[in-house]
Amino acid sequence: MAFVFNFPDVGEGIHEGRVVEWLVAEGDAVAEDQAILKVETDKAVVELPSPHTGTVLRLHVAADATIFVGDALVTIGSPGEEQPDKAPAAAEASAAAASAPVAVETGTPAAPAAAARRPLATPRTRALARKLGVDLSQISGSGSGGRITEEDVQRAAEGGGVAPTAPVAPVGLVAATADGEVERVPITHLRKMIANAMRASKHNAAHVTHVDEADVTDLMAHYRRAKPVIEERTGVRFTLLPFFIKALVATLQKYPIFNASVDEEKQEILFKKYYNIGVAVDTPEGLIVPVLRDADRKDMVELAAEVADKAERARSRELTLDEIRGGSCTLTNIGPLGGVFATPIINQPELAIVGLHAIKERPEVVDGEIAIRKMMYLSISFDHRYIDGAEAARFMSDMVRLVSEPMVLMARL
Amino acid sequence: MVVGSVSRGCQVVVIGAGPGGYVAALRLAQLGKDVILVEKSPTLGGVCLNVGCIPSKALIHASELAHEVQHADNIGISVTDLTVDLPKMVAWKDGIVERLTSGVAFLCKQSGVEVVHGEAEFLSDRSLVVASEDDRVEVDFEQAVIATGSRPMALDGFAHDGEKIIGSTEALSLQIVPERLVIIGAGYIGLELGTVYAKLGSEVSIVEFLPKIVPDLDPEVGKALTRQLKKLKVKLHLSHRAESFEPGDPSIVVARGAKDEELRLEADVVMMSVGRVPNIEGLGLEAAGVTTDDKGFITVNDRMQTSAPGVYAIGDVVGGALLAHKAYQEAKVAADVIAGEPAAFDSVVPAVMYTDPEVAWVGLGEVEATAEGHNVITGNFPFKASGRAMSLDSTDGFVKAIADADTKQLLGVIAVGRGVSEFIGEATLALEMGAFLEDVALTIHPHPTMSEALQEAIEGALGQAVHMVNK
Repeated sequence: MAFVFNFPDVGEGIHEGRVVEWLVAEGDAVAEDQAILKVETDKAVVELPSPHTGTVLRLHVAADATIFVGDALVTIGSPGEEQPDKAPAAAEASAAAASAPVAVETGTPAAPAAAARRPLATPRTRALARKLGVDLSQISGSGSGGRITEEDVQRAAEGGGVAPTAPVAPVGLVAATADGEVERVPITHLRKMIANAMRASKHNAAHVTHVDEADVTDLMAHYRRAKPVIEERTGVRFTLLPFFIKALVATLQKYPIFNASVDEEKQEILFKKYYNIGVAVDTPEGLIVPVLRDADRKDMVELAAEVADKAERARSRELTLDEIRGGSCTLTNIGPLGGVFATPIINQPELAIVGLHAIKERPEVVDGEIAIRKMMYLSISFDHRYIDGAEAARFMSDMVRLVSEPMVLMARL
Repeated sequence: MVVGSVSRGCQVVVIGAGPGGYVAALRLAQLGKDVILVEKSPTLGGVCLNVGCIPSKALIHASELAHEVQHADNIGISVTDLTVDLPKMVAWKDGIVERLTSGVAFLCKQSGVEVVHGEAEFLSDRSLVVASEDDRVEVDFEQAVIATGSRPMALDGFAHDGEKIIGSTEALSLQIVPERLVIIGAGYIGLELGTVYAKLGSEVSIVEFLPKIVPDLDPEVGKALTRQLKKLKVKLHLSHRAESFEPGDPSIVVARGAKDEELRLEADVVMMSVGRVPNIEGLGLEAAGVTTDDKGFITVNDRMQTSAPGVYAIGDVVGGALLAHKAYQEAKVAADVIAGEPAAFDSVVPAVMYTDPEVAWVGLGEVEATAEGHNVITGNFPFKASGRAMSLDSTDGFVKAIADADTKQLLGVIAVGRGVSEFIGEATLALEMGAFLEDVALTIHPHPTMSEALQEAIEGALGQAVHMVNK
């Protein structure tokens, strides 16, 4: 049975993409879940896996083509099925037709045109919107009576999103106003996604931030000694971050609610039995949070290598969608950028986010004496709807103990 | 290889040379594609040019002319000894058909579209065979467009014989005006051709299963048409199911009414017009992997793509409104999509019935607009108040505009009256441009024309009509 694989709805509001390259050719055998093509969306470059094991009978789109959700991408036949590209010779034709050479099962049946309300735009503007991949139902028009103009469509295509209702100066132009010069820069798609996620999180969750401090003098001493040895042996640039990931995972194991999310509709708490830790990465285009899957089962060197790789690919926008979702708790490392401490916003649907802040030498009282110690603040923002302050305080004090006494953490491993 | 079998390759094969198929072929050729157009009939143009839109409109015009001069006493024209030479009328109509179909053939030739005559059958999603009496041509293609159209639906008990029981095709080529014509089905084809033969002198009876004619349109439309049919002495038997046919001289059509009463109608000729079915038999759709709905219409998305990648379908065979101009637009969409353009079908489809009076509509009716959640306002201008209608001695009918009361956006127009088919295109443009009532109200319409009624109806919806009393 041949199967037509259509461009799936990969979520994240993506309905259009560009074929970067095919990783298979017609006639190739493919295994289920094997990556078969790379598609670029405005969020990331996605590798699409084959839904079936079989033979690639037909590629329906060429590299560089623009594709829409639902478009046929590839026909995959049963393992060993022949490519029916040659028409059977005339003598065999009737027999071949009678035996129905290719029974096709489609992923999504072709739907008749929807009778939804029509957007208020002229045929020419609607054609332009299709060309630029703009969904007219998502923009409001700036023309008379709310008509969507070609400028509105252009602006939406450039990432401007919702058109302002008043006419505006062309994008990117530095214009003199009564108050001085102003440059108009379109908001990028990523920025809009961040904006929506942040606003939704602040709106939905009852944010509370709890701050604790850790004495990391011992940790730093161990780290300083071990770093060159580890790097020499493994060739991986070793940082402190994997240690904090491990400390976080150990604490999450003790307090499962911090590794949970909530199904609001069914009113159920989903306790995750996995530890997929998101690590916030600052990129020139905005915040991206790659996810380190099964952080509990990886050693610190593996985690260090993975963080470095994913941060690099986040900056070059090469992460696949799978690499930026499915997290269970998030860590944000603000320390290198300075400051005392901050109040991070929860990466929903998660319930908590832990912030790591700058390590500074401060005078502290140790055993009745003033000593110079390496100190750092750790913050946790949690959703007070489901987690109480006392629980968060206990969580942080446990994590602080693991960070302050690295042997305690190592003993657990 | 079988003797007489040839193998060919092309980029796109188009099956069916009706309004959908020939437009798709021409547009694809314009876009630089190497195209083969397959047609089973000897002439191009499909039902529309050969046995549909064009020939029926020719006969409608001719019968109207004959009818009108006989009913012009009130304006001072009377004729005696008027004769209708039906064979000559049919020959004139055939001349028009010949000019148009050879025109299509000329356009295909000029555009480099190769026409292959025969019946196509898919062997796979990349190959088909075109069989004719003396040839089998195998065609390998990269993409295919199915545009095989539709044909009249048959009704049990009324076996088509082309003489006593005919379809619309034969009705366009009769050599004598039947004394008694019974039409089964009061759809637009039955109403149009019933009107033609009533005007040419037949005694026409129409048997309709439903309790109303044009049940989907505004109730005012059915009333206006019924009034005129009565004037033409056409007998309308609504809520009657046609049951059987007894051949003879005259033959008898037996129908049964809602209260089980039997109706026996004498007929010299019976014309069947109970609906149309898609032409999918023998196409080998399974071999290509093309699926249909439960009525046999090929399922497509708004880019005219079927369930088989690379295979497109357009026109009557995909269902919806079975209208040539819908097929034209779908043909252009399919061709553009094949050429890699992000085209999609998102147009409003106007419709016209060449009844007497004509009925034309586009967009939403009052009921549909309300169902879509609009707070509806309407404006209705009767042709009784139109100087142009009076000067044409045709004051039947009206124009009704349907709009959203809150935004004042025009949602639909329905028009009944002489020549309204000529300005429904204006209403269609208004809808496509997203016009508000004011946009049309502030547009000058030439005086005196029937199209002024559109402006008046829209001003009426705004409560600003000048040539009638606002409600």
